[in-house]
Amino acid sequence: MSGHSNWPEWVYIGVVVALMVWVGAEAWEAERLVDHIPADAETIKVTGQQWFWSFEHEDGTKEIGELHVEVGKAYKFEIMSKDVNHSFNIHDYVVLMDAIPGRVNTVWFAPTEPGTHDIQCREYCGLIHYNMRGTLIVEEPSS
Amino acid sequence: MKKLVGLFLVLAVTVLIPAVDLAFAAGDEPGEYLDRRVIIWNLFYRLMTVGFTVGAVVSGTIIWQCWRFRESHPKAKPTPYEGTDW
Amino acid sequence: MVLELQKPRPIWQIMFSTHHTDVGLLYLITSLAFLFLGGSLALAIRAELFLPGSQIIADSMTFNRIFTVHGTTLIFLFIIPFASAVGNYYVPIMVRYKDMAYPKLNAIAFWMIPPAGALIWLGFADFTWYATPPYSIISAPGPAADMWIFGLKILGVSSVLGAINFVVTILKCKHPDMSIGQVPLLAWSFLSSSLIILVAIPTFAAALLMLLTDRLGVSGFFNPAMGGDPIAYAHLFWFTFHPEVYVLVIPAIGMMYEIIPRFSRKPIYSYNSGVFAFVLLSIVGFSSWAHHMYATGMSFTEKTVFMVGTLAAVPASAMHVFNFVATMWNGRIKFLTPMMWSVGGIALFFSAGAGGVANAAMPLDFTTHDTYWVVGHFHLFVMGTIAFGSIGFLYYMFPYVTGRMYNETMGKIHFVMSFIGTVLVFFTQHLLGLYGMPRRIFDYPPIPEWIAMNQIATVGAMIIGISMAIFLANMIYSSGKGKLANTNDPFGLGGKYYYPFEAKNPSH
Repeated sequence: MSGHSNWPEWVYIGVVVALMVWVGAEAWEAERLVDHIPADAETIKVTGQQWFWSFEHEDGTKEIGELHVEVGKAYKFEIMSKDVNHSFNIHDYVVLMDAIPGRVNTVWFAPTEPGTHDIQCREYCGLIHYNMRGTLIVEEPSS
Repeated sequence: MKKLVGLFLVLAVTVLIPAVDLAFAAGDEPGEYLDRRVIIWNLFYRLMTVGFTVGAVVSGTIIWQCWRFRESHPKAKPTPYEGTDW
Repeated sequence: MVLELQKPRPIWQIMFSTHHTDVGLLYLITSLAFLFLGGSLALAIRAELFLPGSQIIADSMTFNRIFTVHGTTLIFLFIIPFASAVGNYYVPIMVRYKDMAYPKLNAIAFWMIPPAGALIWLGFADFTWYATPPYSIISAPGPAADMWIFGLKILGVSSVLGAINFVVTILKCKHPDMSIGQVPLLAWSFLSSSLIILVAIPTFAAALLMLLTDRLGVSGFFNPAMGGDPIAYAHLFWFTFHPEVYVLVIPAIGMMYEIIPRFSRKPIYSYNSGVFAFVLLSIVGFSSWAHHMYATGMSFTEKTVFMVGTLAAVPASAMHVFNFVATMWNGRIKFLTPMMWSVGGIALFFSAGAGGVANAAMPLDFTTHDTYWVVGHFHLFVMGTIAFGSIGFLYYMFPYVTGRMYNETMGKIHFVMSFIGTVLVFFTQHLLGLYGMPRRIFDYPPIPEWIAMNQIATVGAMIIGISMAIFLANMIYSSGKGKLANTNDPFGLGGKYYYPFEAKNPSH
């Protein structure tokens, strides 16, 4: 049990700790970059309820199940829920944030090219959770 | 030896404190237009590169030693503990 | 109970016994029964997801109930009781005491499990093993949900009673000649996991009561409509259940600490680092709970704190892997079934841990959170590490429990098929998560990549299912008709074993 030198284990632990420090630093830097919302981001209010998404743009336009945005702008989602927890997710743009009743959570993104992408709910919310889906439509800039 | 340990402790603290400061003082300055896909997936691929490298070393070691130290290996020899009441 | 089938006793004598080997046997049989019950639900889930659309399950409500009961069963009714079975057989012998410290309490702790299991199975709740409010308060249909809450409540009390018993047995009842530094690592693993239970469980016990009164409508702790906060529940839940992950994994590692030196014919490389890693893990385990909640709208600072807390648990786990590798080094390893399961478990433990590090990195949560990545990740732990360690140990203790040998060939086939199946199911699920498939969904859109990967996972699950049928046949046949084991050295390894069958059972 003892009587042998243990230096390989110490070297090994040093390597593991160094790797973890590296992971932590890299993750911290990436999180810092994606966390900060650009000052001129347009706000879109996202409301989740059993079992669909509705959206309200800054100019008052409302949409259900579909969301139209334009290339070249930054959008800030303010995510709310009317009943139970949901999770607003546009996987293609790596956008994910929970919709928690009683809270407003924010996440932002800036679409880069026109196209359509899936919107889905990623937090279990009951009977039709599996089909709580929507569509993101990214359009050319209007002006 | 003790002095060395002390020196390293002081060095570690002098490096750590500004780093921690920086981490917690990440202010609310507005961000730029970044593509979050690029940042996040890049991070993912970097971590996976390292992860798979380490994984290859660890699994490789385990597989090799399973092959080398099996009792049917031609060079297998009894351990010093065999036949004793360890 | 040893040699029960050679010197049979009436079944009620075992059921009303308080002797540690009898209670251990009851734990063992109960946990295995729930392993097969919970496992068959897993097969139903995988069959359903083989193709988009409804396959064998009629509607999403049934599906939701199935995955809820699957998770609850395998965590609380298989893994934890199985660990208690091993602890009951081995801990008193390892600390050289005649029984557990409180034999009656021990029997009571066991007998709380069957009614709890009945509540969970007869209710068949649908709100996931996590029972998130406000869904669980305002939407989940009763009485299933209430039965689940009572079932978990009872299981929590049972865990706490069991933990008290292990702590007292190890610390107070160990032989006076034995210092705490001589207690074998398997017993140390029970000491550390029991201490975690004692600190962690009361939090969830309180949360469950609050959940129940919320459901009754008399309080609003977690109900936003009444001024409560669902996130408070998430904190209380994960404060218990992140450490609980270590409660599950530490005994499994302890079992590997018994098997690997034995089959390598060498003592453990470093006993002290094993003890140190157990203790460190059970402390650091409490610093990481909110990494399950990055997406609930936590601040950057909170996320940073919990990421650091999570990464801090990695060195302790890595020390175990080092210890195992260093123990096998220069050994003369006999690859019998228990050893194969242990080594397979270590290999998968690394993959599970590496996936966990990726999860802990805050921004990656946007890609992986609540997708099949997470499902694959924690199943690599609970199946790949914990169940592998446990099943390996079951083969190891089989000759002591029954006095007979299991069929070695069938045991090896079981291992190989389970290993292949586990890799197929859970590694594929990681990829599926990267493609964005959410967890807990009954049906999915016909995206070609999703279909292909779901089918690979289903095939893997069926391979595991077949191997488990082989396992069951092996256990049943060998316990009655297997060839008699040389109970002094059933595996032909030499050295000093711990002999549960020498435990002096007054009924024999």
